[in-house]
Amino acid sequence: MSKLNSIPVAVPVVQQPSGGAGNLLANVFDELTAFCRSRSLFMLHYCTGCGAIELPPAMTSRFDMERLGIQPMVTPRQADILLVTGYVSTKTLKRIILTYEQMNSPKYVIGICSCTVNGGMYWQSYATAKVLADYMPVDMYIAGCMPRPEAVISGLRELMANIRAGRSDNWKDYYRHYDHYLGNQQRLFGENWQTPTDVIGEARHYDQFGPETLGEHTALLERHQTPLLPFEMRLGLGSESNK
Amino acid sequence: MRPENYPSVSQPPSNEFELFYGPNHPGIEGNYALKVRVHGDEVTSARADGGYLHRGFEKLMEGRLWIQNIALVPRICVPDPVPMEVCYSLAVEELGGIEVPLRAQWIRVMQLELSRIAAHLFFFGGHAATTGMYTPMFWGITDRDLILDLFEELSGGRVYHIYNIPGGVRRDLPPGYLERVSKTLDYLESRLPDYDNLLFTNKVFVHRATGIGAMTQEQALDWGVTGPNLRATGLAFDVRRDDPYLVYDQLDFDIPVEAAGDAWARSLVRRSELKESLRILRQVVAKLPHIDGAIRAPIPNPLAWNLPAGDVYTRVESSKGELAYYVVSNGGDKPYRVHVRGPSAMHAVQVLEHLATGARIEDVAQIMFSLDACPPEVDR
Amino acid sequence: MKLTTATPNNVSASLEFLLQEIPGLRTKWAGPRRLRVDLSAETLPALLALLKGRAGYVHLSAISCVDWPEQSEFELVYHLWSYELNVLVKAHIRIPRDPGVYLSVYDLYHPAAFFERDIHEMFGLYFEGSPDMGKFILTEWDGPPPMRKEFDSEAWVMNQFEWQDYRPDWLAEIEARGGGITTRPQDIRKDGKP
Repeated sequence: MSKLNSIPVAVPVVQQPSGGAGNLLANVFDELTAFCRSRSLFMLHYCTGCGAIELPPAMTSRFDMERLGIQPMVTPRQADILLVTGYVSTKTLKRIILTYEQMNSPKYVIGICSCTVNGGMYWQSYATAKVLADYMPVDMYIAGCMPRPEAVISGLRELMANIRAGRSDNWKDYYRHYDHYLGNQQRLFGENWQTPTDVIGEARHYDQFGPETLGEHTALLERHQTPLLPFEMRLGLGSESNK
Repeated sequence: MRPENYPSVSQPPSNEFELFYGPNHPGIEGNYALKVRVHGDEVTSARADGGYLHRGFEKLMEGRLWIQNIALVPRICVPDPVPMEVCYSLAVEELGGIEVPLRAQWIRVMQLELSRIAAHLFFFGGHAATTGMYTPMFWGITDRDLILDLFEELSGGRVYHIYNIPGGVRRDLPPGYLERVSKTLDYLESRLPDYDNLLFTNKVFVHRATGIGAMTQEQALDWGVTGPNLRATGLAFDVRRDDPYLVYDQLDFDIPVEAAGDAWARSLVRRSELKESLRILRQVVAKLPHIDGAIRAPIPNPLAWNLPAGDVYTRVESSKGELAYYVVSNGGDKPYRVHVRGPSAMHAVQVLEHLATGARIEDVAQIMFSLDACPPEVDR
Repeated sequence: MKLTTATPNNVSASLEFLLQEIPGLRTKWAGPRRLRVDLSAETLPALLALLKGRAGYVHLSAISCVDWPEQSEFELVYHLWSYELNVLVKAHIRIPRDPGVYLSVYDLYHPAAFFERDIHEMFGLYFEGSPDMGKFILTEWDGPPPMRKEFDSEAWVMNQFEWQDYRPDWLAEIEARGGGITTRPQDIRKDGKP
């Protein structure tokens, strides 16, 4: 815990260019990308728990999230932010992990409500997962039961500042430490747990493959993994006549 | 994403597909799913898939004290939490033989009706959005926020209030509260013609909603449908009038009914109900200043409160239908068993499956929203 | 005898008169509109048929199950409502916990399908003749039926999950500047690898 003094504090200061040796224009493109990214966030439209009820007020006329450039998006493929609004039951958690892996990088996860931090008031429940950060890297927690729309917007503004300053890159951690996250998932879902996403291949693609990407849990995955094939469409009565 | 990792799908040409309608889908209400088979754009079969919001409330409540559970119950239905608190409190009071003071009963009626209006405004927004109209959604949610402000002033919470506890309510109304309620009612009443213009007489909406997801009264009774969905098929049944609780038997209100039983009728019933709720609230606002007295009956030390053994079945009318709690005590300080009968458990599972079958794929969302299904009530 | 007029006195009298047709049945008024009926499991279908056919009890409000491990019994409670009489009948039956099989009332009341499926999932009680006994809510659950009294949810959770520290040192600093938790995954992970 000694290293934790260096936790980034969200102040919108542009990161000093590391390379480029005095050339002011060297990082212009990166900065422009970060600026644009922080100003056009698409939020996945997936209501996972109670906290989702405070999002419609936050999105509509009264609190108006859209003025910050944040809009709901219906498909995970085109979304930037995954809002986990409240407790996640085991059944939902599977879908959230599938959704998270489908999203394109860079992607950000926000845990809203106390339940995502530590199980909240359902800590005794056999049906809910307790610590969301065990299963996917979380960029930001907005605590409360439930947080008000102002708190949600404040959290999103902080995320924007982090993206702007290039500090919010927790999505890389999922690739770098895939073994850790997969292990926690396997512990909850059983050893046969497998998603149709090739995370290890993507880790290489994004140049995030590290020593912790593979481990005992990914070895277990490879042992039982069925090859990644397209989902078979189950054809009904109409298909025979079409042949 | 690496496209080379994911080979393209090859399959013989077909008109029939199996689709997952939810849980991550804009046309689904909450975290819920339907598995539908579609032929062209017609749904040939639909299967509800719940449990995404399951928290095991009934098990959790067995492990907590009678008074602690009051913090759990509103979470069973997020858009309409007050009936949950009241229904549980009524059950505990009946078991413990507690007489609730009259003033607390009137305050509870006010809370219940405010919550019903909030839920119905939310419903208009949702139903309109499924037909492609987003302005009613913006209006409905913004107007609902006025009611949430009233809740917040009273209890400190916008959505979950934990204001009704066994024995009465937690604190008395702040000074000037009834005037502010009255002002909000005036405003909401003045908005109703706007809603009529925008939504209920809008040709697009009427056209889209008429004849969609229709059920007859016979079918509704057969499937156990209650609440506004049953009243939309012509049966005037309301727990508030026919099995009265609190002080509803002293209030003057009508039970609006429609005959058609389709999405349009269900929407109209709720619109009329909103007006009736405003009428009830006017009476409550007029009556409350004249009722003095305690707001809470004395209860024993809640941390060591043993209720006598027995079982009760209490029912209230929530915005979705008949909500009931079956509570069993074995003489201990915790409930022995609590069974929550969420009204949506009927119309979000079997009825939705029936009505979605044969509908067109673009109407499935509208059917679900017009039934006002509340998935957490199903999953608990 | 079709009961249609609903004044409390003649309703209660005629309802009790009607219920005398079922052998071994005990009635008790638990409130002005609540009639508790205790009967044996064999006679329940006859009672439901009688109530539905001759007293207008078309609405099955709920089926509740209570686990009584000391007596090794399940108690099933059928809550029935008549839109004509406005009286709720609670029919209580007891069935042995082992083997835990009972008859479905789906033929009489279609809402029973949901409640019976739910009880089957939560208590492991099987209903013969119910249209669907497949899993609905607990599809990802392979433990014992969770609502049974012997299942200890808290012990199961403690065995299954790990917890976040409640008062870590770094939280004090963040609280001091007024909230807004920004964490990196390596801070949260227990192993502390970079």
